[in-house]
Amino acid sequence: MNCRSEVLEVSVEGRQVDEAMLALLHTILLHRSTGKFHYKKEGTYSIGTVGTQDIDCDFIDFTFVRVSSDELDRVIRKAVGEFKDALCNSGNDGVGQISLEFYQKKKSRWPFSDECIPWEVWSIKVNVVNLANEQERQICREKVGEKLGEKVINIVEVINRHEYLPKMPTQSEVDNVFDTSLKDVQPYLYKITYQITDSLGTSVSTTMRRLIKDTLAL
Amino acid sequence: MAHFDTEYQRLEASYSDSPPGEENLLVHVPEGSKPQWHHIENLDLFFQRAYNMHQKNGLTCMLLGEIFELVQLVFVVAFTVFLANCVDYDILFANKFVIHTNSSKVTLPDAFLPMEVCSARIRNNVFVIFILVISGVFWLHRLVKFIYNICCYWEIRSFYINALKVSMADLPYFTWQEVQARIIEIQKEHQICIHKKELTELDIYHRILRFKNYMVAMVNKSLLPIRFSLPMLGDTVFYTRGLKYNFELIFFWGPGSLFENEWSLKSEYKRGGNRLELADRLSSRILWIGIANLLLCPVILIWQILYAFFSYTEVIKREPGSLGARCWSLYGRCYLRHFNELDHELMSRLSKGYKASSKYMNCFMSPLLTVVAKNVAFFAGSILAVLITLTVYDEDVLAVEHVLSSITLLGVCITICRSFIPDKHMVFCPEQLLKVILAHIHYMPDHWQGNAHRYETRDEFAQLFQYKAVFILEELLSPVITPFILIFCLRRKSLEIIDFFRNFTVEVVGVGDTCSFAQMDVRQHGHPAWMSAGKTEASIYQQAEDGKTELSLMHFAITNPHWQPPRESTHFISQLKEKVHREAAAGQLGATSENLAFTSTQSLQSESEPRSLIANLLAGPPSLASLHLGRDGSIGMNEGASALRSLSPLSASLNLRGSYASARVPRPDHPAVAAGRAMAGSGTDARTVSSGSSAWEGQLTSMVLSEYASTEMSIHALYMHELHKQQSRREVSRHTWHRQESDESSESVHDDPEASHNLPRSNTFPFGGTPNQEGAALQMSGQRRYGGTTESLCGSSRIQRTPRVPMGGWTEETQTGRHHEPVPEEGSDDELPPHIHKVT
Repeated sequence: MNCRSEVLEVSVEGRQVDEAMLALLHTILLHRSTGKFHYKKEGTYSIGTVGTQDIDCDFIDFTFVRVSSDELDRVIRKAVGEFKDALCNSGNDGVGQISLEFYQKKKSRWPFSDECIPWEVWSIKVNVVNLANEQERQICREKVGEKLGEKVINIVEVINRHEYLPKMPTQSEVDNVFDTSLKDVQPYLYKITYQITDSLGTSVSTTMRRLIKDTLAL
Repeated sequence: MAHFDTEYQRLEASYSDSPPGEENLLVHVPEGSKPQWHHIENLDLFFQRAYNMHQKNGLTCMLLGEIFELVQLVFVVAFTVFLANCVDYDILFANKFVIHTNSSKVTLPDAFLPMEVCSARIRNNVFVIFILVISGVFWLHRLVKFIYNICCYWEIRSFYINALKVSMADLPYFTWQEVQARIIEIQKEHQICIHKKELTELDIYHRILRFKNYMVAMVNKSLLPIRFSLPMLGDTVFYTRGLKYNFELIFFWGPGSLFENEWSLKSEYKRGGNRLELADRLSSRILWIGIANLLLCPVILIWQILYAFFSYTEVIKREPGSLGARCWSLYGRCYLRHFNELDHELMSRLSKGYKASSKYMNCFMSPLLTVVAKNVAFFAGSILAVLITLTVYDEDVLAVEHVLSSITLLGVCITICRSFIPDKHMVFCPEQLLKVILAHIHYMPDHWQGNAHRYETRDEFAQLFQYKAVFILEELLSPVITPFILIFCLRRKSLEIIDFFRNFTVEVVGVGDTCSFAQMDVRQHGHPAWMSAGKTEASIYQQAEDGKTELSLMHFAITNPHWQPPRESTHFISQLKEKVHREAAAGQLGATSENLAFTSTQSLQSESEPRSLIANLLAGPPSLASLHLGRDGSIGMNEGASALRSLSPLSASLNLRGSYASARVPRPDHPAVAAGRAMAGSGTDARTVSSGSSAWEGQLTSMVLSEYASTEMSIHALYMHELHKQQSRREVSRHTWHRQESDESSESVHDDPEASHNLPRSNTFPFGGTPNQEGAALQMSGQRRYGGTTESLCGSSRIQRTPRVPMGGWTEETQTGRHHEPVPEEGSDDELPPHIHKVT
């Protein structure tokens, strides 16, 4: 695929899952968001400001920075909540993966729907561990904090690399690149998906889609 | 904390109005107004389509071709059904008489059955309806595909026009290399591939040829079950389009294939852990696909027969000899293909070798058949002559029943017989022809050399270069045989296949998973017997056979002169190129423009003169060359001459110039002076190619010169094969010939500078009547030159080297046979346990 993919792996306790996920997803989104664009007549634009906010975790010794946008936070929390529920209900092994995919829309002609072409995918693999006693929990709390710190630095390193980013769009195309639905911040178009257990086969629908595409292709 | 929050909130509230302090704000200019060619989702398909479009000369030609194919399909089916059901043959054969009111002539429409009868016959025939339904479904599929293709290729068209700035009208006149260069330019601006700042030629080739490279590698490593030893027919190759389609379906794109999508192998296949389980799964999938093939067999068979009938009967009627003509078999195309060689490159190479190949095959006329054919032709000819004479006398003879048909049949018979009678003036010289063929096809099993006159060699070559008739027959049989090959042969190999894909898949940034052979990494896949000794770290399992890695690398470097090879490969290429440089300097020594470097005539004229380099190149290494020359030196030179003659069509002028050159022996003094003279020459003559040496140093900037790339590659291929032969021979004969060898080589090293003195070479060479041909000659003169000295240099440097593989006793047979090969034969590779260590 013509897209970068980064994989992060964390092992956390059950109750730490959502905080850890929030910390990582918000960190990525912090760097992949801009202020709102204000276009002017001559085709130029100015960028609004973005506030940041420190968030302390309850179950992990960790503080992270996120964009101070409650709307964005709500969306992320909802996705992470669903992921956590699915992870809890899945059974004993507690292995899951949540991915944050940044994409671009490409307008197509009539018979086809708009294409969403990802350009960067962050996959976070989660391994839920069960701990026996309070002391272990305490250790875990610190360790996970340290680990998350490393991950955040990791993320920042990746983002600092001078790599492909969609070009800044004109006013008419801004919806193809940025998510403009939020009123205080404007992240790149993103999609959060999750997957419980490292299943080997791809889902039926993707197989079918590929089959059709393959038969059509030259 | 909460305190700060509120502050941010307040600021946000004022956003809806114009931002505060607007005049101080940074103002940005959007860059997104450019066309949308950045970041294309499926680059594989994109490049493949771009290549297809280029090969098919633009959208219009493509669409027109496809529309006609659709129409053809309808026609084939409709016409067949019509012929079978709606024609009253009794009327046509005049067994039944029609009563006409106005005239006594029978017209074609008389033979047609009336509509009602016709449709009733069709309706009552289940078989016909079955065929109609099947072909209808097939046709609809093609139609949908066609419409889908229009949409896809429309995008590519606008890419060509807007991004590459190539209009559709101009497209047929662009070479692929030019288009590719523009794509690489585009990447810098638009970033169509997001992983890298810059694309390389190899990236594009990898994407277009991802699966083909796998197939080439699998054929190279004899993984695919396409060779069979049958009780009656002996060693045969069966590889048809149907079989190929099934292989690709199983490995690459069918449901549940090994590949997740166009660019990545499924992750479980990259891990060695559950290979047995995966092999089981693969083998059951092959079984199902085999069964599906078996079920669909009748349908495919009918289709094949119909298709063959309609596409070939006309040709056969027009020129019956065409069935006796040959074509490169599908297996041959796979076997002869370099890694990373696009279709048009392969085809042009094979087409160049076609003439020599058919000549070679024609050398092997069965004398028995010739005698029979001569006599059959005689009898048939006499009857035909009588019939024709009678017809000329009175054309009513034609009206006699079966006279016209017997004339036709006799004509066909004579044509067939004539194809078995060899040309009276043909000379039997297979060894030379094989050299010429090798110059174009670049690959050849070792044991062919020196055995060109044998029937075994001919039969093996026939596997690559088969009769058209055999090709059609195989295609017809394919639907029946394919399922059995899948079920009984391919299934057994499933574990090897799993291992192959695991071991030989590498993930390349910006490209995805590719066949590691296609990286053309001499270190990983080099074969010690093919010049990469000392550089390669490959185990026998990893070595590509027949010097595929090395030759592919050279081929790719030559066809894409701008490509920057990785460091290990650069070393390999530079080893060759370094000598080229040295030769370039030497080649300019005698740079008077009249004196063309190489003369075949000259070397034949005077045995006492230092051997011309082509003799060195083709007859043997300097060390062994003298031995050769003592025995059959002239033959070697003949070979060389003819090999080169086939490379360029100007042998005549070459020889002329050669003799001219030998008449006046120039005295090159000092390299600097000579170089200066060369420069002066190029300066004075306006039509002179600027610098001959640069042309083959790999700086083929001009598109004109890139046409000579194939010539250069031919020389390289011949050279590498020769070196390989010597090396393997040397390893056998080393202890025996040691003494002589060192003497000879020291002598030849001494010889060579002299050679360059006496045989002046000109790289700056004024064009005569046909600039292209002259240019080719110019190219070749340089190359020949370099080839010779490289040979001698290698010869001298290789003496110190001890053979890497100790060999057994030396006999006369081992010299010619393949036993000297330090690696086991291809077949035995398969039995070796695969190495589990991971390449990825």
